[in-house]
Amino acid sequence: MAVVEQNYPLGGRPSFQRASFTGNASEYFGIWIVNILLTIVTLGIYSAWAKVRRNRYFYGNTVILGHSFEYHARGKQILIGRLIVFGFLIAVNILSHLAPLALLALWPVMLVVFPWFLMRGLRFNARVTSYRNVRFDFVGTYGGAFKAIFFGAIITVISVGLLSPIASRWFYKYIFDNLRYGDRPFSTEPRLGALYEAFVTVIAIMIAGIVILVLFGGVVTGFGGISMGRGMGSISLWHWMIVLIFPIYIVAGLYYRAAVRNIIWSAAMVDRRHQLRSDLGRRRYAWIAISNVVVTLVTFGLMRPWAAVRLHRFLAEHTVVHVDGEIGVVFDQIRSTGSAVSAEYLDVDGFDFGF
Amino acid sequence: MSTDSTLASDPEAIVAGIWHPPHSSREVPARLLDVGGSLIVLSDEEGDEGRRLAWGILSDIEVSQRVGSIPRRIVFGNQSVFETRDNEAVDTYLRSRGEGRSSSIHGLEIVRPRLIAFALATIVLASIIYRYALPILVELAVVVTPPVVPEMMSAGTLKTLDKVTFGPSKLPEAQQAGIREDFARVAAHAEGGADHYHLNFRDGGLIGPNAFALPDDNLVLTDQLVGLAGGDKEVITAVLGHEIGHVEYKHSLRQLYRAAGVAGLALLIAGDVGSGVQDVLTQGGGLLALSYSREAEAQADRRSVELMQAAGMDPTALSRFFDTLETKLDDHGSTSMLSTHPGTPERKQAILDYARELQEKRAKPNG
Repeated sequence: MAVVEQNYPLGGRPSFQRASFTGNASEYFGIWIVNILLTIVTLGIYSAWAKVRRNRYFYGNTVILGHSFEYHARGKQILIGRLIVFGFLIAVNILSHLAPLALLALWPVMLVVFPWFLMRGLRFNARVTSYRNVRFDFVGTYGGAFKAIFFGAIITVISVGLLSPIASRWFYKYIFDNLRYGDRPFSTEPRLGALYEAFVTVIAIMIAGIVILVLFGGVVTGFGGISMGRGMGSISLWHWMIVLIFPIYIVAGLYYRAAVRNIIWSAAMVDRRHQLRSDLGRRRYAWIAISNVVVTLVTFGLMRPWAAVRLHRFLAEHTVVHVDGEIGVVFDQIRSTGSAVSAEYLDVDGFDFGF
Repeated sequence: MSTDSTLASDPEAIVAGIWHPPHSSREVPARLLDVGGSLIVLSDEEGDEGRRLAWGILSDIEVSQRVGSIPRRIVFGNQSVFETRDNEAVDTYLRSRGEGRSSSIHGLEIVRPRLIAFALATIVLASIIYRYALPILVELAVVVTPPVVPEMMSAGTLKTLDKVTFGPSKLPEAQQAGIREDFARVAAHAEGGADHYHLNFRDGGLIGPNAFALPDDNLVLTDQLVGLAGGDKEVITAVLGHEIGHVEYKHSLRQLYRAAGVAGLALLIAGDVGSGVQDVLTQGGGLLALSYSREAEAQADRRSVELMQAAGMDPTALSRFFDTLETKLDDHGSTSMLSTHPGTPERKQAILDYARELQEKRAKPNG
């Protein structure tokens, strides 16, 4: 702990700055409920504009170094992107009923196409985001996406998950190393050891959870074999075990997600000088994510704005940037290239990675 | 256009903020002014006060829509940007120029009592769509679907099943012929007549005892189900009558459209409920689709009773099939949220009730 504080005197020197979130649940509630209402009234067409207003609210309230982000996508752009994806889904759905076997043949094709979709989606999201009047950009190629997604998936499956930290590393390196802020590059060098540490910890949590469950199950059958009664007979103990393993899996997944975010972001740099850092508490993150879902369901969705703002604030407040010297003036690369606007129509919205 | 003339020498300051040069993150403290109808940005930077940074007429300038209290961006023709957090001053200015429209949605979003009305209206609208609009849309879709679609759907399904699990039937020819004969008697009273339906025999493989109808009027009966029925030929005919019911009511097509509709509805409305909740909603939609399929089963059960009676066979034969299920498969379960078919005892009772009802109806005009 002492070492960490020495290396990162957060708040001690002005060069370390935490991001913050200036929005609040009641303000967002208004935006959210009007979004839903107008989406229903317009039979879903407004949902594209609703997304613009929602993202503008969250980006515009995410503040770092005294400046907020801005989201520039147009409702029309998003609507076109959604129609393309929707049409594609309908086509696949019809095909799956007309010729289920043809769909099996389609799968490899989809696997090849998917990295392209992901690449265009990342580019779209980067290009419609700006900070201090300078847009982000994503310059990743299809080949890079193919390696990050396709090979990543293959080695994960072949190794029964044992190589998944390597796949994660490829994936996040693809995202960060190709991200640009104006003319400045992002980069990340996450240590594989750290990723494996997180991976092993999560596996340990799952094993411990399952062992406890099995012991508990043994105790229940030992004591209450009869008291479970005939009525429960059809639902065996194993059935309950599977039901209970599900939450263990969710908690472990959330732990892993928080740990990976910390590792990736803390290894990332902007312009090879300015250090990024993430210090999410894993337990706190899991608690917020799970309680958000519970609260949202219990209130029939009405507390969703509160839950969204809560999670977003937590993520923002645990994101830190260390500015090395002067940032200087950053110039926008996108708009000067001219063809950006027409290219955006080719980009597909629909893949959010929650930057 | 407002008539209150503003002297060029006495410009009206609208708001203070910062200004970014085109394509650059550099920022200059600045203020926005209206000079005779055009907007001008003047520098507030020390040593450079009063320098004109950008100007344009309102129609050439893009003012970002107001969302919550995020900074407002005013983009000039040369892509330079004036940014301010004083949303109210910008709105006041725009209204004075007759451009109030740009913040109309923001007006709805402000938290005040009428938002409660919005919330209620949202809930009511969503349930109205689910309750009334969705069934109408499903019916419409069923009507406009050309017959070739169910035919192609069915051809694919049967081909797949044949490859994956089915084998050729091992029933003796004579037994098959007997079942076909009884089936023809029942099908003669169904929509389209006996020639309309095609009965296929298959060895069920993994699927086991089962009978099902494809939307293109093909029916499939597995050897295992024939075995389960024992020697009771009427039971088999009654089960096939039930499947004819499914075909007549186009249940599979309806269910397909309904599931698609529910999923679409959940996606549209719930686009903004969060990933975890969205999963729960989609699963919930699946459960609701199951309750619809229970309704379809009951409908097909009643059709079996009608057809059996019309063919002069025992209308309650289907209930004997459920007896067999109860004794041989030990299926005593009552209807639950998670089952596609209603509980066996309930279905049996419903069949007996409906058969009696039909009998009474027939007895009346005769006697």
